[in-house]
Amino acid sequence: MQPVVHFRNVNKSYGSSLAVDNLDLAIEPGQFVTLLGPSGCGKSTTLRMLGGFETPTSGEIFLDGQEISKLPPNKRNVNIVFQDYALFPHLNVRRNVAFGLELKGMASDAIHKRTMELLSLVKLTDFAERMPGQLSGGQRQRVALMRALAPNPNVLLLDEPLSALDAKLRQQMQIELKSIQKTTGKTFIFVTHDQEEALTMSDVVVVMNAGRIEQMGDPHTLYAKPRSRFVANFIGETNFIEGKLKAIDGGLAAIEWNGSVVHANLNGQSPAVGNTVAAALRPEAISVLSQKPANTIAVSGRITQSIFKGDHTSLTVSLANGQSVVAQLDPVALSAITGDDVWLTWRENDAVVLAD
Amino acid sequence: MRSYFSDFPKTALQASYWLFVIYLLLPLALMMAISFKDANFVAFPIDKWTLKWYAQVLQDKQFLEACAYSIFIALMTTLFATIVGVWIALLITTEGMIARSVIFALACLPAVVPGLINAISMRIFIRVLDIPTGTGAIILGHTVHAVPFVVIMVLTRLRSMPNNLVDAARDLGADSFVAFMRVTLPYLAPALAGGMVFCVLTSIDDFVRTFFLGGYQTTLPMLIFAKVQGGMSPEINAIATLVLIVTAAVGLYAEHLTRRSRT
Repeated sequence: MQPVVHFRNVNKSYGSSLAVDNLDLAIEPGQFVTLLGPSGCGKSTTLRMLGGFETPTSGEIFLDGQEISKLPPNKRNVNIVFQDYALFPHLNVRRNVAFGLELKGMASDAIHKRTMELLSLVKLTDFAERMPGQLSGGQRQRVALMRALAPNPNVLLLDEPLSALDAKLRQQMQIELKSIQKTTGKTFIFVTHDQEEALTMSDVVVVMNAGRIEQMGDPHTLYAKPRSRFVANFIGETNFIEGKLKAIDGGLAAIEWNGSVVHANLNGQSPAVGNTVAAALRPEAISVLSQKPANTIAVSGRITQSIFKGDHTSLTVSLANGQSVVAQLDPVALSAITGDDVWLTWRENDAVVLAD
Repeated sequence: MRSYFSDFPKTALQASYWLFVIYLLLPLALMMAISFKDANFVAFPIDKWTLKWYAQVLQDKQFLEACAYSIFIALMTTLFATIVGVWIALLITTEGMIARSVIFALACLPAVVPGLINAISMRIFIRVLDIPTGTGAIILGHTVHAVPFVVIMVLTRLRSMPNNLVDAARDLGADSFVAFMRVTLPYLAPALAGGMVFCVLTSIDDFVRTFFLGGYQTTLPMLIFAKVQGGMSPEINAIATLVLIVTAAVGLYAEHLTRRSRT
């Protein structure tokens, strides 16, 4: 399938600093794609280049096969939902949503019909005559979304649109956004620094760091098989296993760590035997045992902290090598007490070797 | 609200406030009172009351013509000053514009230059360019004086405008001109209304510039000046009272408009 959006060797620099570094990114139509990364990673710049508010220093951007990097925003069939919504304060809700349709020269009955359809999609028909200043944050958010969807863009861009909402409303809007994306079948490109938001809504997550793509994939793959230390750290909580690579055997790496040799999935990497390698291990993948298991590899440690979190207990286990490992525990499974000596074990493939 | 001299007796503070109010309003009140006096001399006491001065003023062709001429000049001044003022404010807030503070300082200069100096320099200027004195020259002079007020009011409003509004309009299909007309200009409306009223009031009030730049037709301040030289009479008080009431009403309405825009 032809990608709906394609960045080819795109660079963007401001003076001597490089905001986007040789970006190559193809986005399939109809997907919910999230650009995820810390502030300053280039995700917003990427979105603004697609919207037409920034021009790439070099490289090409294709929208539906057409090169658009030099076109002004009004000549591109994409619309954007801004972080602060940017609703026109002098126009009521209906006129805000109708703005793009009016500029398209649509007949006024058709505009009215479409505007009301869109407002009913987010249950705001009763608010059509209100001014933006009279709406709550969540309502403004919905109006901004519908205003951007009204001209029927190929791609909808969302620039951290949920960051101004409180936690409860944000979760509700995540679900609503995802369902609107499903209903409309449009390509959504969503920018956020919130990893949970990215995992909740996306078909594809593009993790960016320092202007480059660190890893791109579906949320499950990113979580289970992070390629780099950055991705492993940015998405969810992670323990790092760092040590000398002793051997490679059947897709597994044998790593010398904390006085024993532990195994990790090679994760598509091919490190040289004898070098230091790092592997990521999620807290919930770790089993905590009170006795040394008979026929699996296990490392020993002592519980230094135990925090009850409701659905699980978070344990911090101190190892002989001085490192602390975080493990998750079913609160009823074991009554772990600070100071207890325990054994940690995991399925070999749950630990994954990282690229750097 | 704060309290500054909380150790002082409250009545003393309030008394000083009322003294100030009397100082401000008493001269105006006296002037208005005499406009109703049925005698030819401007003095107290008032024995008989009348509206005849008002009747006389409102039938005075000279007065009515001067009013119309002043209003015409004020409206033209407002038109030009608004266009120039908005343009300068836009330049100052344009991304990548160099020497903004210099542009701003230059735009504000006419507001602080003494009126007399300003008027003389304008007179020399039009002489050099061979522009005749009269309506055109007066409008030119008044416009230079009014521009700073428009710039300052529009600039304040522009700076409070979210950056994304124009981007949002562009994104929804507007070219930069349409975005300006449909988003920026409506956003500026309250500041424009305030600035325009200010332009009208400063122009109607202006005597010095008009005196130096005017031709044979008299504006309202020049007419009053001429009448005063002919001797004080309650008729002048009536004219002054009318001008006071109209300008105060317009000014308060403008204040109301700009105040509402701040919420």
